[in-house]
Amino acid sequence: MTILPSLRRRPLLRFSIIFSAALFIHQYGQITACAQARRVVVIKVDGLPNDMVDRFVRERNPRTGKSQLPWISQIFYEEGTRLANFYVRGMSLSGPSWSLLDTGQHLQIKGNVEYDRYTLHSYDYLNFIPFYIANIASRRIDMPGVEVLDELGVPLLVDAYPYDERYNSFQLYQRGNRWTTLGRALPNRFNRSPRELVDEWAMGLETRNIIFDQLERELIGKLSDPRVRYLDYYTTEFDHTAHHNRDREAHLYALQELDAIIGRIWTAVQKSPEADATVFILVSDHGVNTDERVYSQGYNLVKLLGSAAGGGHHVVTKRRLMLDYSIKGIYPLVPLITTTTLDSFYLKGQSTNYPTALLDFDGNERASFHLRDSDLNVLHILLQQLQRRGTSGPLRRALTNAFFRTLDGRRAEWQTQLSELNEELVALRREIEKQSVVVAAQPKKWTKQDQDAGRDKEAIRQFARMDSAMGDERQYTMYAATLTRLLALKPESFDPFAFRIEDVIEKGAMGQPNSVHELQNYVVGVAPGGFVLSADGTLDMQKSFSRVNYFSLLQAVRMRNNVQPGVDSRPVDFTATRISCGQLAAVAGRDCGPEGEAIWLYGGPDKQTLLLAREDAHGALSFRYLPVSNLRQDETGRVSFESVEWGAGFPLKYYEDEQFGVPSGARAAWLNEWHTELEWLRATHRTKYSNALIGLHEQLARHPTEQLSVDEPGLSADERLLRRFRKRQRMLAEADMLVLANDHWNFDVRGFNPGGNHGSFFRISTHSTLMMAGGSLTGIPRGRVVEEPYDSLSFVPTVLALTGQLHDGRVPIPVLWKRGFRSFPGRLIQEVLGGREEAPVQNPVAKGAKAP
Amino acid sequence: MKSVFPELNARRAACFLLSLLLALFPLTSLSVHAQTPVGVVEPQAEMGVAPDSGFRLERIRVAGGAELLTIFANLDGLRTGESRAPEVPLVSVLRDTMGDDTPENDRLRYLWMLTYAKPSFTQRIAAAVPFFYNRAGNKGRAVGHGAPPVLIDLSATEREVWNKVFWSALQNLLLDAYGFPLKATTRAYHRNMADHRKAHIVRALAVLSLYEAARGGTPLFTRSELHDIQARLMLTDKTLGGIVDDIHLQRVFQKETTLVRDVRGHNWELLRQRAEAESLHFEPLEMPDGSATHAILWAARPDLVARRGHAFDKRFLNIENPWRDDRLLNWQGYTETRYFDAENRPVEPGTEGARQVQLIPLALYGLDHPKIPILLVDFRAGMNPKRREISRRVLEDVTRTVLSLSRFGDLPYFLSRSVYDFVTGRRGMDVNQPSRVRAYSQLKLLLSLNASLDPALRDQIASRLERVSMNPLENDLRAETQVARDQYASLVEYARRPEGLPARLDRDRRAEMMPLKHGRKGQTLLRLANVLSFGLYTHREKATPELAARMELQRRLAYHERYLREVARSPRVEVDWNIEEVRRSLRFIEANSEAASGRMASVVASIFARTEDETAREICLSGLYRINNETAKKELLSIYNNQQVEARWRGRSAEYLRMAVRENQMIAPSDAKTILSVVGQ
Repeated sequence: MTILPSLRRRPLLRFSIIFSAALFIHQYGQITACAQARRVVVIKVDGLPNDMVDRFVRERNPRTGKSQLPWISQIFYEEGTRLANFYVRGMSLSGPSWSLLDTGQHLQIKGNVEYDRYTLHSYDYLNFIPFYIANIASRRIDMPGVEVLDELGVPLLVDAYPYDERYNSFQLYQRGNRWTTLGRALPNRFNRSPRELVDEWAMGLETRNIIFDQLERELIGKLSDPRVRYLDYYTTEFDHTAHHNRDREAHLYALQELDAIIGRIWTAVQKSPEADATVFILVSDHGVNTDERVYSQGYNLVKLLGSAAGGGHHVVTKRRLMLDYSIKGIYPLVPLITTTTLDSFYLKGQSTNYPTALLDFDGNERASFHLRDSDLNVLHILLQQLQRRGTSGPLRRALTNAFFRTLDGRRAEWQTQLSELNEELVALRREIEKQSVVVAAQPKKWTKQDQDAGRDKEAIRQFARMDSAMGDERQYTMYAATLTRLLALKPESFDPFAFRIEDVIEKGAMGQPNSVHELQNYVVGVAPGGFVLSADGTLDMQKSFSRVNYFSLLQAVRMRNNVQPGVDSRPVDFTATRISCGQLAAVAGRDCGPEGEAIWLYGGPDKQTLLLAREDAHGALSFRYLPVSNLRQDETGRVSFESVEWGAGFPLKYYEDEQFGVPSGARAAWLNEWHTELEWLRATHRTKYSNALIGLHEQLARHPTEQLSVDEPGLSADERLLRRFRKRQRMLAEADMLVLANDHWNFDVRGFNPGGNHGSFFRISTHSTLMMAGGSLTGIPRGRVVEEPYDSLSFVPTVLALTGQLHDGRVPIPVLWKRGFRSFPGRLIQEVLGGREEAPVQNPVAKGAKAP
Repeated sequence: MKSVFPELNARRAACFLLSLLLALFPLTSLSVHAQTPVGVVEPQAEMGVAPDSGFRLERIRVAGGAELLTIFANLDGLRTGESRAPEVPLVSVLRDTMGDDTPENDRLRYLWMLTYAKPSFTQRIAAAVPFFYNRAGNKGRAVGHGAPPVLIDLSATEREVWNKVFWSALQNLLLDAYGFPLKATTRAYHRNMADHRKAHIVRALAVLSLYEAARGGTPLFTRSELHDIQARLMLTDKTLGGIVDDIHLQRVFQKETTLVRDVRGHNWELLRQRAEAESLHFEPLEMPDGSATHAILWAARPDLVARRGHAFDKRFLNIENPWRDDRLLNWQGYTETRYFDAENRPVEPGTEGARQVQLIPLALYGLDHPKIPILLVDFRAGMNPKRREISRRVLEDVTRTVLSLSRFGDLPYFLSRSVYDFVTGRRGMDVNQPSRVRAYSQLKLLLSLNASLDPALRDQIASRLERVSMNPLENDLRAETQVARDQYASLVEYARRPEGLPARLDRDRRAEMMPLKHGRKGQTLLRLANVLSFGLYTHREKATPELAARMELQRRLAYHERYLREVARSPRVEVDWNIEEVRRSLRFIEANSEAASGRMASVVASIFARTEDETAREICLSGLYRINNETAKKELLSIYNNQQVEARWRGRSAEYLRMAVRENQMIAPSDAKTILSVVGQ
């Protein structure tokens, strides 16, 4: 070759070529090495705490002399790689958390249950029974969470694989449904010897396992099919146990059952044709806050909100209170449950028409609630009074003036919302027409090939889209019509007897979200002294209404019975609310910018913090955390607060936490400065509240998706409007307040979860499990422990990178791009992609370790 | 009304007399005296004292190769003044060791709950009186020559199942046909006896659990042994529990323990929340292991004034509104003064900033009851818990005994009763609930073990608790302590006498030898005879050294079989189990293949399929070759035919099959043909 001598003569060129080659290998070498993984098997376990798994793996079983969890030990500790610090990003709650793990994109679904403020439509992401019933009627094909993500254009990991190349078990984000699984589950369950059946009956039939057992059988069966490249198995058994039982034995038993499942599936993987190229993953959505010495205590927020002190709200929930003690509790299609209060100030007997609080307490260590727009309450109260015949002239005039002053104060905002909504509804109607053509064109019969390719299911999906859109159109149209009538009221032609209240105030609607000012001065009824007129004859708005400050109300709750050491008498740890940075900047010149978002954490009048966030040009997040006190917002939206020094007792308690990764002398300065997300994660993840700061932002901030960008070139006007409509729907599902429970407290009122709970930002609840192992072709290191902290956003990109479906660490390959996948915001777990570097295999069972 | 007696024919009369006899003496089968004494060894006691645990285990060797293990507890709750807490024997277990130290041939035999005594004559009569829902005094001293009644025979639990079935058939088909008096008497008597036993089973379970929590596994009593015993006791609640395979016992223990703790935590939290909602004070009561099995609700005296006239939701609490009760305003009964800090934590008197509150006890609840905390003591209305307790029993007795209504024979009754049960059960109403015998029995144990309760309060609870009992066979707390001591003395004496426990042990072993001498049909007939005679007849072999050796071998085989069956559930044996142990068991089977069964052969084959350990696999194949039965050869052939098995193992299987054919081993004709065609001679 002639090129070589020339290279020898040109050292600079030689250096350049070598450098470029090295760079190329550095960039793509790992991916090439890892791209040999051809199949992924994911064991998804709800609520599997890493620390507990680790403890039991290291403990010896006195009967066997092996680890208490021998398969996890063998597969992931000896033959695989495990992440010692893997966290849920956001709340430690199944609905949101699995959405992060399943999509790799920022949080769009913010609770297990969400409500639409305008229509009272509820998104119940956990209740699978309505889904099955709708599926029988061919009206729905995907679980509600998947439908919402589809509307937002966010695909799931499973969507990276064609229908006939994947096996998707039953789960929260379930794409499609298989009745054959249910059909075969029962016969298979009883397909055993009479003796075994008698034993089983005598011991008590474990009906919960029937479906899980069948899913395991099917997955193992599918492993022998080399076409299938993605398989998952989802189980909630451990989570269920941990909610009910706090004792070590119950946890160990549940984990041993899981370990045995992992062993059986892994053994089947090893015997399957693609064993060498299979990535085997154990992943969980969150941990669980359970302690052998403590029962988790419940606090009833429904009762608080229904009490006179709490505002006398009729409260809507999507879970029946004391479900197991209610006759109605056996009805599986849970409707909206309204808990009527007798303490309502002005809506007695109207709980069905006018609930004023929507509460989601799922997850239990947190709750979020919507309150009806405080100004709607004012209007409602005033209208009630105006419709009374005996109201005197001066008072009537004052009330009428107050009514229109209040209405006019919001008119511009409401009119804008209404106009936009009407535009969107027009586009939605056109979309329904188009979709109905698509649905009509679907074949009525399907061949075997069609079914194998999932085309029959796609047809139902098309129908479901249309049906869902029609429901939306109907409900929002009703809301818009009522709001139109309200805005059409004019002082000059106003006759309070000419209409009914429900003609102008939509039943069940919460209206616009409340500002901090409204939540601090929330109108719940007429003041005990009745309406008060000022000297000028106008209504004294301050003295005429009873008001509640929800921040101080929640923080002031104390319990009489404090019988467990280490459990506080206050059930509420802190509350969190979104606040616009623009409002802060106007007051204090804070530098997160007018487009930035801030979160206000309230732990008491003098224990408050502000979490400021900003994004750089590349979309990288930075945060700043400031201690403040006495934050208030006035009627105009201006926010005032006092800056205070860092000390102990502020929300998240980083400052005093021994595990905080900043030297104690430098903490105040560090906390007051801007730091990148990664710096925050590294500094805080070992503290009691772990990555709460990032999680709070993930939970409360809005995360625009590329798929819903209205600025994307080439969009038609209708497409643009429909994107705006979907964004609006997400915003309408945002709650007014997030309430976080104190340690060992929960807000579950459906039943009791004395064993443990999750939902909070405590490390014990957010510290989750991610472990990987694989065949020789996958390049997953053996016996490696990754100490670097990662969160849920890393999961999908890492799996795609392992299987060669990602380039440059963020961008999906073209075929996935076409399917709707977009750049991933999470970091790749480089340690898993690190080629075949062999680490010495460590025996995870500590020498001399004994079972207690 | 016609008399039933003239219509009786001889056969029915015989049945009737036999039933009556058995109804009155159901424990006769367990207390028949020995006939064949064996050599006597003086009892030795091992006093394994656990510091501060409150529990002690004592071992007494029994002649003939057995040991009597007894758990003693310090009853701190019964301490008076400054005296030491009395130590009382509570549970004894007989372990047949065959006289050696090898655990493989051990067999757990009898379990005695030493507070469980044969009822006095008065108690028996009272127990047979229909609709008599009261205690009938205490049993006097339980001193005698016989052994105390056995709570459970751990080595023959299946017998209990058949007895239950047979008794049920007898009651429904025969006794119920002879008119109300006999029907009502026998049903009441049987029910009281069953409840009495159940109460002591609950107590035994609690003692074993507390012992395990305090001591963990010991060389004398391993953790898995303790779990096996507890599982067997738990299964007495289930109709077919006695025939559940031993291999499931650990699972049964896990499941039931998990369930009990789930229920306890659930009720703890339900009661705390209800107390909080009604402004009452909640105080959990703990067993020595820290588990809260009961709780008391108190009213604070200042609240009686502050909340005067307030509404009170009595759901789940099942007591009257304290805020409208004038008696509480002038309460002269028991009160306690407690101190609380600013966070409402209970603190010691004198703590700075502590506030003093005088509390009045309102009610005591059991937390181990299904669905709801169950009211055991109402300090203002002594009969309140009792009325609730008897509600279900009265309903049962009236419908079943007086009205002769059966769920299976009367559709309207079935429907209305189902609805009533569903509503009361689902809503957690404390009427028509399952009996509170468990909570009641546990509370007695708690009162005797818990030293934190004020003696005056404890005495009040104890006396009120006795009013709840509706079983004439129950003894009170102090009487039971005496009964336990007396019965223990009797048991030790019984163990010492050659014609006592040693002879009984010998008889049991001779009965155990029966399957070694008789084929399947013979065994079935002899077992049937045992069941039909209500256990009065048990076939026993004449003991010979040869039979004794075979029995010993069978026990060892059973031990290894149970172990290997558990091992064979693993997808890869060496990951889950210590492969050395597995090999050892396989070698034992291989070495004693002549006594191994077809089931054993299947287990060995299953282990072959689930291990990659060369040595273990070789032993499996060799074992299958040596086990001379059709199943073993079928399994060997199946391994040979399995294309997924490596060729060398298939080759080894072929060799063994050839040898088996040459040796004319037992092979199913169809398999023999296949072997000859594919493997050759």
